[in-house]
Amino acid sequence: MSSLVLTTRDPSGPPIDMTGVLPERLFEGGREALAGLMLVRGRGRHRLDTLFKLEDGGPPGTLVLHPGSAVLDGVGTGMTAGELRVEGECGAYAGSAMRGGTLTVSGNCGAFAAAGMAGGNLRVAGDAGDFLGAPLAGGTRGMSGGSVVVAGNAGDRVGERMRRGLIAVHGRVGSLCGARMIAGTIVVGAGCGPDAGQAMRRGSILLPQAPASVPSGFVDGGMNDWLFLDLMRKELIDGGAWPSGFPTGGTRARRLIGDRSTGGIGEMLIVSEV
Amino acid sequence: MRLNGVHIEDTFAEAFPMLGTRLVITADTPAWVQAAVVSMTGFATSVIACGCEAAMERPLPPEETPDSRPGAAVLLFAMSKAELAKQVARRVGQCVMTCPGTACYAGLREGAPIPLGNALRYFGDGWQIAKRVGSRRYWRIPVMDGEFLCEAATAAVDGVGGGNVIILAADRRAGLAAAQAAVLAIRDVPGAILPFPGGVVRSGSKIGGKYKGMIASTNTAFCPTLRAAVPVSLVPEGVESILELVIDGVSEAAVAAAMRAGIAAVAELGAAGGVVSVTAGNYGGKLGRYQFHLHEVMA
Repeated sequence: MSSLVLTTRDPSGPPIDMTGVLPERLFEGGREALAGLMLVRGRGRHRLDTLFKLEDGGPPGTLVLHPGSAVLDGVGTGMTAGELRVEGECGAYAGSAMRGGTLTVSGNCGAFAAAGMAGGNLRVAGDAGDFLGAPLAGGTRGMSGGSVVVAGNAGDRVGERMRRGLIAVHGRVGSLCGARMIAGTIVVGAGCGPDAGQAMRRGSILLPQAPASVPSGFVDGGMNDWLFLDLMRKELIDGGAWPSGFPTGGTRARRLIGDRSTGGIGEMLIVSEV
Repeated sequence: MRLNGVHIEDTFAEAFPMLGTRLVITADTPAWVQAAVVSMTGFATSVIACGCEAAMERPLPPEETPDSRPGAAVLLFAMSKAELAKQVARRVGQCVMTCPGTACYAGLREGAPIPLGNALRYFGDGWQIAKRVGSRRYWRIPVMDGEFLCEAATAAVDGVGGGNVIILAADRRAGLAAAQAAVLAIRDVPGAILPFPGGVVRSGSKIGGKYKGMIASTNTAFCPTLRAAVPVSLVPEGVESILELVIDGVSEAAVAAAMRAGIAAVAELGAAGGVVSVTAGNYGGKLGRYQFHLHEVMA
């Protein structure tokens, strides 16, 4: 299986729209198909091989971007298969509308990462920006499948209008985490900003402690045993998505139910209050 | 064929295709697992009148269950997918969900889907929650002791029902001892169950009867007390008690392995233990798709 390393010739300057630079294109059309791809940079269109140096290498079946850069927008957009690695950071829309495969970012990524994502895996070793797993512009639903693991922090509106799938952020998240959430699971390792779960309908937000500001439509369901936490913990530990500060045993948690002001029966589970 | 003085008749057990599924039931303690399993597999001896045939396949230690609690694997068999789905929903809904602290999981991955939590979720009256963990989907249904966790669906596979072994013994005590030895041996065979009480049937049946509307009636040919009275009796001299083991399995191989284990256990008691012979029930090979020839099984 072929593999390719794309070395960014100019990691500064105007943003590059990386839409279409996907590992499956490498499998289907080979190196030439990628080299001739036209990319938008700033106000111009350029052949990929004028913006990147193409070299064979990397793990088999993998497309590697080296070094990563914040000017690289839309990395892995619409990806369906294979593996794409960014060695360093990347810009906005990383893994947006992704449907399969694995995108790994060893640095930070910008806003709208995993926006509109429907499948596959996004792994970010650094921080993620706002709107992680949120809807794409004009969309009514956020992430509808797949899994996202962010080792660092994430910005505001994580998982907004999320429909399905998993977002795990090991660090902190900003305000309005899981706002208008439809279903799915968000795991936050180090607490969240104000108004988490606002207007959420269903879904679960797992938190280490109760947020400082809980929307008024949430009611305290009290402590209880939640067997599914045991299943989820095993699954997430295997995938490196269970935050290190979370309990490694037990099923007890405090449950806040809401947002009742909009008829929602979502939940915030406070897992460390045992 | 003669094993340890026990005559193994040159005949075969005739068995039928059934649809089966495996469920994994867990609870806080083995006693509560047992309570749920006994209730769920009650009145599930024969599809003739019970809708399905079911029994515990084996107890499961915590390290083998999805939620690391004590559990049990249960097998259910029915004649159609629709009937199996109905029985699964009824029995899990009335006997497992009602039992304190239980959870219910699919025990098979491959096969046609059968609703499990998908059929029970409405009990949550709108407060139920679907939760996907990895590739598996669960329903969390609020109940009075917390939450009933139930996998959304299980799978139905092509199984085999009606494998059987018939033990002919000198007297009732010897027959019971032989049957119990066989039951213990068969319970160690994965993928097979004995759906009758204690794993044993004493009222084996034949198709039809003299009364209109009877689907089955007592197997007169194997009734020792009728030996001299019926036109055809299969009870040899010196036999006072006959017991049958009916075996359902998730595959032909599982049923064959169970029959082999059972006959071997009976033969180990031998003629000295009061066992006269071992035979099997069939309908002349005209009705069932599967034939388990005793000599081939024991070869």
